[in-house]
Amino acid sequence: MQVSTTSFTSNFLYQLSQLESQQATLQNEATTGLQVSLPEDNPAVMDQVLNLQSEDSANTQYQNNISQLQASANTASDTLNSLQSLVEQAGEIATQAGGITSSTQLSTYATQVGQLIQEALQLANTRDANGNYIFGGTNTANPPFAATTDSSGNVTSVTYSGNTSVASSEIAPGLTVTAQSLGENNTGSGPDGVFADSRTGANIFSDLISLQQNLASGNTSAITSTVSPALTKDEDNVVSQISGNAVLQSTLEAAGNVATQKGTNLATQMSNDTNADLAQTLTKLDQTQTAYQAALESGAMIMQLSLMNFLA
Amino acid sequence: MLGLLGTLDVSARSLAVQQEEMEISSQNLANVNNPAYADEQLVVTESTPLDTPFGQEGTGDQAISISSARDPLLDNQITAEASVTGSLSAQQTNLQYAEAYLDEQISSATSTAAPESSNGLAAGLSNLFASFQSLSTDPANLSLRQTAVQSAQQVAAQFNQVSAQLSTVQADLNTSVQNDVAASNQDLNAIATLNQQIVAAQASGGSADQLVDQRQQTLENLAGMVNISTTTESNGAVDVSIGGVTMVSGVNNTDSLQAYDPGNGQLLVRARNAGTPLTLTGGSIEGEITARDGALASLQSGLNTLASQLITQVNSLYSAGYDLNGNTGQDLFTGTDASTIGVNSNVANDPSQFQAAGVAGAAGDNTVALALAQLGNQNIAGLNNQTFSANYSQTVSDLGNSISSVNDQLNSSQAVTQMLSNECASTSGVSLDTEMTNLIQYQKAYEASAEMITTLNEMLQTLVAMKTT
Repeated sequence: MQVSTTSFTSNFLYQLSQLESQQATLQNEATTGLQVSLPEDNPAVMDQVLNLQSEDSANTQYQNNISQLQASANTASDTLNSLQSLVEQAGEIATQAGGITSSTQLSTYATQVGQLIQEALQLANTRDANGNYIFGGTNTANPPFAATTDSSGNVTSVTYSGNTSVASSEIAPGLTVTAQSLGENNTGSGPDGVFADSRTGANIFSDLISLQQNLASGNTSAITSTVSPALTKDEDNVVSQISGNAVLQSTLEAAGNVATQKGTNLATQMSNDTNADLAQTLTKLDQTQTAYQAALESGAMIMQLSLMNFLA
Repeated sequence: MLGLLGTLDVSARSLAVQQEEMEISSQNLANVNNPAYADEQLVVTESTPLDTPFGQEGTGDQAISISSARDPLLDNQITAEASVTGSLSAQQTNLQYAEAYLDEQISSATSTAAPESSNGLAAGLSNLFASFQSLSTDPANLSLRQTAVQSAQQVAAQFNQVSAQLSTVQADLNTSVQNDVAASNQDLNAIATLNQQIVAAQASGGSADQLVDQRQQTLENLAGMVNISTTTESNGAVDVSIGGVTMVSGVNNTDSLQAYDPGNGQLLVRARNAGTPLTLTGGSIEGEITARDGALASLQSGLNTLASQLITQVNSLYSAGYDLNGNTGQDLFTGTDASTIGVNSNVANDPSQFQAAGVAGAAGDNTVALALAQLGNQNIAGLNNQTFSANYSQTVSDLGNSISSVNDQLNSSQAVTQMLSNECASTSGVSLDTEMTNLIQYQKAYEASAEMITTLNEMLQTLVAMKTT
């Protein structure tokens, strides 16, 4: 086969350009550490990476949801603990009041219970870090509890203006939990009310008010017979709320761990899909460079040669 | 017997032939770097012999013609491959534009972070649903509402931008089709003119090698734009037909290409005189049409479906919700497809109007925000039962598949072209070594003939001197 002068150079250039483009690809892989960067590089991997990426973004968001709910649950937990000790204190007063006849003593207790009612009201209208009332159900914008006072400043009744629904948020695909609590639920369905619930028979404000009124009027027998057992029910109700909150917190923590683990797995998977095997890439790059150098050297050598150098 | 004078004549012809050979060599050498040039050779034969009593005696040589080393079969294959390459490279360029506009490029932000594509719609959609999730944890929070609205605006803007850029690519493709059609028509005209000159030259017994080279180059150029089929007539003319319609018949340019609008603004090609729409199978015109109506159109329609599903699905949940002021019934997204999608300006200006709650008067109600958040994980019937993200990933990888297949085909087509041009160069190409060697040969032969003449001259002088002495 006759090799024409142009075909020699065009072949030489074609081979050089092939080697150069191979070199550029490998060089790119080596510097970015990625073997896939554009959809055309590997459509299947691109599809997978975009899906993993969307899963990863959702997973990160679940982690954000979890920490947001954890903050709310912590606020609720603190409040419930304070409420429990408050109800316990009232229960102690009720127990002690049964054996006391001194009206001065009783009215001192009455004053103390009055303070407890004010404290309970404050707890009932607790707001979280974002300014949402935590015991109003989904009516988070307005104080859920309002008190009516008599002429001497004693609370005579407390009304609940929150609602009886709670909002749930996702912490894992399809898994929703709520960190909201109801102040009061007398509907007989849905989550238990913290301050009053028809199913458990709890009604903290009504019981505290009746304790105060009975203390003021010296009706210790009513305290022993009805108020004391009612306060026990109230405390039981709060304790059950506290344990509910603990379950929520551990659920959140477990979901958080799962999400963290999943995030690591997703990142590993994305890296595995896209990362170049550096050892392999560099070896190939080395081979290509050797071939490129050989092509250049042989080309330069042959191009220097010409019959004309030898014709005198 | 030729006699002294006859022999002198033989040598003189030989000188002329060697000189002609040198001229051809110099022409070959001058065209050593011209890829369209086919190596030329002088066809030399013995001249008519004389009958003598001792048998036939040679009378030297004579140049008959100049022949060009062309292989018509190879030329045809090169022309056909030019159509394949033309089509594929037009597709490659334009699909890569689309790929760049989608902006889905995987990169590692840091050496520790997982590699991801963070600029395109994939990230935009993820952010949108993540912002709905965030909102569901604290639905009354104004800054979360603002974030949700901004994410929606960003997704809408990304849809608008990609859609507009893809439309630009398609419009540019229509312009390219028009330009290529105009250039093809010029080539067709040029081929008819060259046919005319070649036929005239050959009819008068001359050689038309330069014209044939030029015509072959024009044919290859034309084939790069549109696939042609050619027939060579006995008089040397080449007939060209495209898609079954004869465009050049002998010396006449009988028909030409015309870009026409079939009604949807996407130009197709027909024969101007015959009026028949042409089904092209190669060349850049076909590549442009294929890219425009194939991968680009399906990308465009994929994005439109995605955007329209996003609009309807989000709005149907959203419009039932209540905002912080107790109002309901507004839409979140406006528009109908990727080019028109936008965010309701009321909520864009006042995020308190984001309808996140399922009932009025409950700021902490997140029913709608949660439903919107969960929409991101739902398989949508209108998207082949895929989630929004999965559907989009599929669209992206479909485009990737189209480009990657074009890349592969183009690589092999380039290799075939290279192989064919090597093949062609080995028959038609000029070799410096061959020419230089020939040159020496011709020079020596010229010297020998000249020496012959000197000798004959001396012999004649001897003969003439016989008389004077």
